[in-house]
Amino acid sequence: MADPLKAAVDSLAGRSDLLGWTAVQRHLRGEQLFSDRSHVEVRRSVEKNNIAIDVLCASDGDAAQCGAARVMLNVGQEAGPAIEFAVRAAQRTRNPLYQLPGPASLPDVPTVDPEIVADPAAAAASLHDRLMRSSASQAAARLTLAEWFVEHEESHLVNSRGIDAHQAHTRLSLEWIVLAGQGEGRVDTTFDMDRRRLADLDVEGEWDRVAFQTADRERAQPAPSYDGPVVLRGSALETFLNSGTIGTLTSGKARFSRISPWEPGMSVFRGEVLGDPLTMWATRLIPYAEHAGRFDDEGLPGQRTLLIDRNIFQTYCASQRYATYLSVPATGASADLEVPPGATPQAELIADPHVEVVSWSWFSPEPTTGDFASEIRLGYVVDGGSRRPFTGGLLVGNVLDALANVRWSSETGFYGSYLGPTTARFGSLQVTPSRDA
Amino acid sequence: MPVPQLPAPMIDLRPRLGAAVAKLEQRSPYAAVLLSSREGISIEVEQKEEKISQLPLSAGVVLTCLANGVLTERSLPGFEAGRLDQAVRAMHQDLGVAPKRTPESDEPIAARDFATAGKAPARQLSLEDKLERCRDIQRRLTRIDPRVVNARVAYVEQSETSVFRSRSQDLAQEVVRLRISAMAILSQDGQVRYDWLGKGGTGGWEMLGYTDEELNSVVEGAARMFSAERIEPAEYTVVTGPGVSGVLAHESFGHGVETDLFPKERARAFDYLGRKVGSPLVDIVDDPSLDGGYASYFFDDEGMLSEPTTIVDKGIFRRGISDMLSARTLDLHRTANGRRQDFTRKPYARMSNTFFGTGTTSVEDLFAQVDHGVFLNRWVNGMEDPQGWGIQITCHYGQEIVHGKLTGRVFSPVSLSGYVPQVLDTIRGVGPLVQMDQGTCGKGHKEYMPNSSGGPHLLLQVRLG
Repeated sequence: MADPLKAAVDSLAGRSDLLGWTAVQRHLRGEQLFSDRSHVEVRRSVEKNNIAIDVLCASDGDAAQCGAARVMLNVGQEAGPAIEFAVRAAQRTRNPLYQLPGPASLPDVPTVDPEIVADPAAAAASLHDRLMRSSASQAAARLTLAEWFVEHEESHLVNSRGIDAHQAHTRLSLEWIVLAGQGEGRVDTTFDMDRRRLADLDVEGEWDRVAFQTADRERAQPAPSYDGPVVLRGSALETFLNSGTIGTLTSGKARFSRISPWEPGMSVFRGEVLGDPLTMWATRLIPYAEHAGRFDDEGLPGQRTLLIDRNIFQTYCASQRYATYLSVPATGASADLEVPPGATPQAELIADPHVEVVSWSWFSPEPTTGDFASEIRLGYVVDGGSRRPFTGGLLVGNVLDALANVRWSSETGFYGSYLGPTTARFGSLQVTPSRDA
Repeated sequence: MPVPQLPAPMIDLRPRLGAAVAKLEQRSPYAAVLLSSREGISIEVEQKEEKISQLPLSAGVVLTCLANGVLTERSLPGFEAGRLDQAVRAMHQDLGVAPKRTPESDEPIAARDFATAGKAPARQLSLEDKLERCRDIQRRLTRIDPRVVNARVAYVEQSETSVFRSRSQDLAQEVVRLRISAMAILSQDGQVRYDWLGKGGTGGWEMLGYTDEELNSVVEGAARMFSAERIEPAEYTVVTGPGVSGVLAHESFGHGVETDLFPKERARAFDYLGRKVGSPLVDIVDDPSLDGGYASYFFDDEGMLSEPTTIVDKGIFRRGISDMLSARTLDLHRTANGRRQDFTRKPYARMSNTFFGTGTTSVEDLFAQVDHGVFLNRWVNGMEDPQGWGIQITCHYGQEIVHGKLTGRVFSPVSLSGYVPQVLDTIRGVGPLVQMDQGTCGKGHKEYMPNSSGGPHLLLQVRLG
């Protein structure tokens, strides 16, 4: 079979009416396994192969403006008509001019697990076997559903400025549902996780943690009325930081659309900073992290960008397009978050009485203000050696106000799309009581 | 009846599917082939930026065999005959032993084809026409108030074509879903606030127009947000607009009655079949055959022809919505709700258009019954909890009601939470007119697909924070 990417590139390169173009072929192979508590219900083999083509050309009747459009080609589909459609669409739109990125040195960030590449079906089966063994040995809770997605994707990007680059990713995604209790008292936990390599998934450890939390949900009391320190750890902290507010306010696209009011040089906080200073990077260089990669969809190299330095906003996460529009450096597509270690040992942060929130129904703050009121699935009232689980009620506050009054742990960890302190103690957040169920 | 316009490679492959099913059924009691293509375009128009994109293309074949309680599937990209034949041979070989099965009839089965109707079909409008219509809405929004620093109009046109072939079905459909959103972004004293209004459905562009009054309401909504306060967490008397009513139906007796959750003890509703779960005013329906509904289709991804399912009838839980596997496992009535995100995913029991049935109380009378409460009319998201029957709906804002009238006081954001049967039991007034919203729904945090929910205005008692 002819090389479909080469055919598309030849077709694009032969046109004189384009200011630029990018073609990316993605070829994905994967295995999926679905199980109930005792046996495999569904097995699936998956293959997907397509090419995304972006064209950039002058707007009709206005050479000072440009238009952009994207089309997708499936395997076996001719490139010519799709490109023609893209050009016709792009010419009709009007945008300030910008240029596509040119060739640059690309980082060699590891993103591929050879074990997954070699045999994704065996990888899925092996993970599932480990889970079944772990769940069989745990009486406090029981597995009722497990889904495994194991994938290997290769991509090849070529653009009109001379970029010709390859990269590959592996990915394993899981969803488990774990039950505790019977009848009216039955509770569940839905646990999902994405990782790029098998070594970053501790099946037995995660099972123990989720089973323990599910058992705690069974004996949880209604949420109390509370106003005071709140601790987030691990994946809950990752959820809090990646919940949209930071991503929106630091986005070059959002700034150009006037949705983000943030400007470089300004404090990211509206009031006094009572806690540790906030420093944060957006990075695509963490080995095996969710957004790690040699290059993004435009071909910009993976990089580590200082977003916030000691409470002061530094720069936007911007594609080449928005970097041009805002006259800022092009940092590339969305990335993983990195926060430096704090000064306080975790043991000290969790020593005094506090509430710890482990999971929410859906933590979804308002993206521009950071205000949130999110239902708590599992939390603990912690006082001395006592940890009393509760469920329901709302955690109420504001993401930015919370980050202005936080102490970070000196211990750090990696949580898929966040690398940084394992623990954060927020000075003051509110828990509203639940209505008795 | 409009005729579906299937992609040419899909038309070419369709006649071969009967033989593929027959070959697979030599070694499996049940086999089916699905050809599925999802494509579309999006147009975004802002003050200084315009974009036209083709949506991520998803086109491929799914081979399905059900043997010994295990569903085995292969997903192949594209519609190539050689690749199909190769995959059928490989699957046939993997299946191993021949099943016990009643011999198939030699009767030819009639093909049944379906397509979305519309007064102004999207394909009859040029790309330029669509872009210009979006620009017109964007310009009208921008002119309403000097504080509007940007207005964004986003249009999405999705075409889903599929062919389903089993021993007894030969079906084809083309479903065109259109959706548009008009958003105003206002700036005042360094603060940014926004609001939006979406429209859409299956059909033509006749659904997507905005009146001046509607666009004014978008800008007024955003302007109101500058004075928004945090709500005092407490229990309130609430009037929900149709959109918020719909999310309540979707999260309570939508997700919670997807029958693939039942055998896994994941849904408390399973224990409540035939029992009271809400006030007698509560009817909840899922209807993939709803005329013009954004999530409507003619048959599901497992070849089941669409028809409505009454889930809750006068406060009594009657029936769940099912995919093939769970309906067989539990010996339940099968409904047309086996849906896939795309050809690379398995089918699950999924909602389509889910909504509260109508009542008889006028909206004015619902408001008149509120001494002090909140009107919730703009939702952002919702989350299900089929096991615990908790519910969370996040609203962009809520408006204070005092003595039946809106006072102009606004709270933002507002989260509605509670325990499903208690929330549904507090419903004491239901409006007379159902309106549907358009959205995207996941199962947990994945498997996203077009979805719609709605209802009339409701009067109820809930906890807000």
